[in-house]
Amino acid sequence: MTNRRLRPNNANQPDRRRTLVRVAACVVLAVFVLALGGCGRKGSSDSDIIVTGSTTMLPIAEIAGEMYQKAHPEGRVLVSGLGSSAGIENVVAGTSDIATSSRDLRFEEEGFGLYDTPIAYDAIAVIVSRENPVDELTTEQVRAIFAGEIDNWAAVGGVDQQIGLVNRDEASGTREAFRKTVMGAMPFDRTAAVLPGTGQVRSVVSSAAGAVGYISLGFVNDEVKAVAIDGVVPTAAAVVSGEYPLQRKLHFFTVGRPTGLSADYIEFVLSDAVQQTVVRDAGFTPMTGEVD
Amino acid sequence: MSGSDDKTAPANNLHLVSRATYFKEMLLQYLFLLCAVVAIAGVLLIFVFVGLRGLPVFTEIGPLAFLTGTDWSPTENLYGILPFIWGSVLIMLGALVIGTPLAVGTAVFLSEIASTRVRNIVRPAVEMLAGIPSVIYGFFGLVILRPIIAEISGGLGFGAVTAWFILAIMIVPTIATLSEDALRSIPPGIREASYAMGATTWQTIYKVVVPAAKIGIIDAIVLGMGRAIGETMAVLMVVGNAPVFPESIAAPVATLTTQIVMDMPYATGMHRTALFGMAIVLFIASMALVAAVRLISRFQTSIEARR
Amino acid sequence: MSKTITNAIALTLLWMAAIVTVLVLGTLILYVVVNGIGELSLRFIFTWPEGVAAEGGIWPTIVSTMYVTTLAMAIVTPIAVLAAVYLAEYAVQGVLVNAIRFAADSLASVPSIVMGLFGLALFVDAANIGFSMLSAALALSFLMLPIVMRTTEEAIRAVPKFIRWGSYGLGATKWQVVSRSVLPAAMPRMITGIILATGRAVGETAVVIYTMGQAINLPISPLDSGRPMTVHLYLLAMEGINLPAAYGTALLLMLLILGFNLGARYLLRRNRKV
Repeated sequence: MTNRRLRPNNANQPDRRRTLVRVAACVVLAVFVLALGGCGRKGSSDSDIIVTGSTTMLPIAEIAGEMYQKAHPEGRVLVSGLGSSAGIENVVAGTSDIATSSRDLRFEEEGFGLYDTPIAYDAIAVIVSRENPVDELTTEQVRAIFAGEIDNWAAVGGVDQQIGLVNRDEASGTREAFRKTVMGAMPFDRTAAVLPGTGQVRSVVSSAAGAVGYISLGFVNDEVKAVAIDGVVPTAAAVVSGEYPLQRKLHFFTVGRPTGLSADYIEFVLSDAVQQTVVRDAGFTPMTGEVD
Repeated sequence: MSGSDDKTAPANNLHLVSRATYFKEMLLQYLFLLCAVVAIAGVLLIFVFVGLRGLPVFTEIGPLAFLTGTDWSPTENLYGILPFIWGSVLIMLGALVIGTPLAVGTAVFLSEIASTRVRNIVRPAVEMLAGIPSVIYGFFGLVILRPIIAEISGGLGFGAVTAWFILAIMIVPTIATLSEDALRSIPPGIREASYAMGATTWQTIYKVVVPAAKIGIIDAIVLGMGRAIGETMAVLMVVGNAPVFPESIAAPVATLTTQIVMDMPYATGMHRTALFGMAIVLFIASMALVAAVRLISRFQTSIEARR
Repeated sequence: MSKTITNAIALTLLWMAAIVTVLVLGTLILYVVVNGIGELSLRFIFTWPEGVAAEGGIWPTIVSTMYVTTLAMAIVTPIAVLAAVYLAEYAVQGVLVNAIRFAADSLASVPSIVMGLFGLALFVDAANIGFSMLSAALALSFLMLPIVMRTTEEAIRAVPKFIRWGSYGLGATKWQVVSRSVLPAAMPRMITGIILATGRAVGETAVVIYTMGQAINLPISPLDSGRPMTVHLYLLAMEGINLPAAYGTALLLMLLILGFNLGARYLLRRNRKV
């Protein structure tokens, strides 16, 4: 009788234990989740590195920041993209530690003693369909094409075919870089298709024989052909040597030489762990120019 | 059940119950009324809050310069939205031309021809079309339809014509379900009379049933127009987004909705205000279509009353 | 003779219209399934996106979508149901009821982008809630309100009159009739309507993009921001770098919405049999 009574009790025990384990797992999960959520809301402190500036550089600064935090739990990297000018203002005002900027300092910004650490090249490739016989364009020709002054490939040594212009949206850092390095004061042709993504531009250009567009050099693949500009084929080496014209540097600006955690973070961004992964994944060219 | 029923319903015998119960009943009734008024409050809130943000564009740029201006160039402080209005109308009309026959045809099929079994397949399919997120339509249009249009037109494949096909499918559920409701509300006796005269199925549909349900079908098409004008994400992904009057139906174009989405991420100051102004234009257009439907229906009721 | 030929041609065309509609749906579903099925895995569902091209999973976006939808449903259901009770049981035809119906129809046809900007202006900026689950849920609830209102009103009107008579006959007050007899009888169809509206909210993009933000985040409190599945899919498709993840997200999203639709349909059918 007692045995019989005991047995079901015994049999129940593992069940109860399992429930306990489950409850415990839930609690642990909840705590973990809360902790994760809590991370983002701690007040700013000395162990924070505040990075503000260029939206173009947001992915690099942000993902490198996450990686840095994983390796150095004592430091926190807070990244926001407000535009290059706002970043420089903030770092001068002391509200940020590092300003990310996709442009050089303007004349009026030079007196603040900002220290420049270039962290990558942003080179832009002009891409056409692989079927297009045109291999080379001058900067002037590219400008005329994107301004709508040249609308047939025959005018630049190609076959008699209408040029299909593919532009980027105005929020795009690539468009901004292209406008600065190529267009200057010349306005874009407004009848061009405006696409909000690099991959979009690439796939559209690859599938339309007459199309031309521009993307960051790092995103060029064998679906499309990157034409030589002023006789220079776009390669990482030509970018680093400065021969390839459609490029700009991406900068980290600090007040004086970076120190402490900021210096550590910048060094990390310049290391291969970031340069060969994040920088390249974002379509930029590493400072060394070497591509594994 | 409602309205006139209330006068005869025993619920009005509230004098038979205690004062406390009476107050509770009245309180609840006002609570329900309050909830129903939320709908009105919603419309007013949209009007006020979108309106307030968009108003400066009408006062500072001027309603005429804003609505009939042909140049959209925020960097030069030019905020003319006529190209977008044209784009919206062009795309809506094309989608209607393609989508209406398909939708009304499907509705007629469902109400007049299909057996219960076939109906049980087609009707859920139509309803499910309504449930697919517009991003997925856009994605499909971008990856599958655009290259086909590019092949045929020799261009990039972005343009009004690509949006036509995508939108045509998207408005089918709206038009088809509402048209079917209208067709089903026609009493079967009318059809039987027609068949008794020796008419074929098609003659009955064409000469009797569809004319009888005409107003309901027009309502459905007008609501379809509203859906087409307001659609955003799917259109955005296939039109090419050039803020100009398109050279052809296969050339990049922008609509009111797509331009708002393209510009919102970076627009500040008057530019952002102009985007809210465009939202007001869209809101008024959609309300006008709803009002049109109500007017048409009222017109029908007055005709029926005269009969 | 020509009469029968015309008839045959016309009927064929009508058949074609229906077949095209079904085929388009089939193609859409097949296309997303074929391209997305390879991407689906527990890892895809339960891990976070990583790196520049959002490789890895989409877990935070699923949570954000579920979070905001549940919240919106919780906000909209009581208001919409009570509003429908008013329209179906209490309202006397007149200017006010006309205005309410016109407002509900207008809300139902407000372009979602307008609703998004409205949410941005009112909840995010003016009420200072910020980009958050709550702002998005509030904006979504205005979108869902007319749908739930209409289906609930229809459900209440479909309840046979004798059920009410029976209750009144036992001396019940109006509220007792509504709450004890009518609403329980209308419940399955009401739930169907709520599920359908929820499905609509799950698939919504333009509303949430301006009220929830776009940052990938796992929302805990209703004031947290996040990125729902639709916005994630939109960004992936537009960026065009990581299309497999876009297909995977599209498939999950579609399964979710088909689930809602089939669930609603099942409820409705079961109810009909009873």
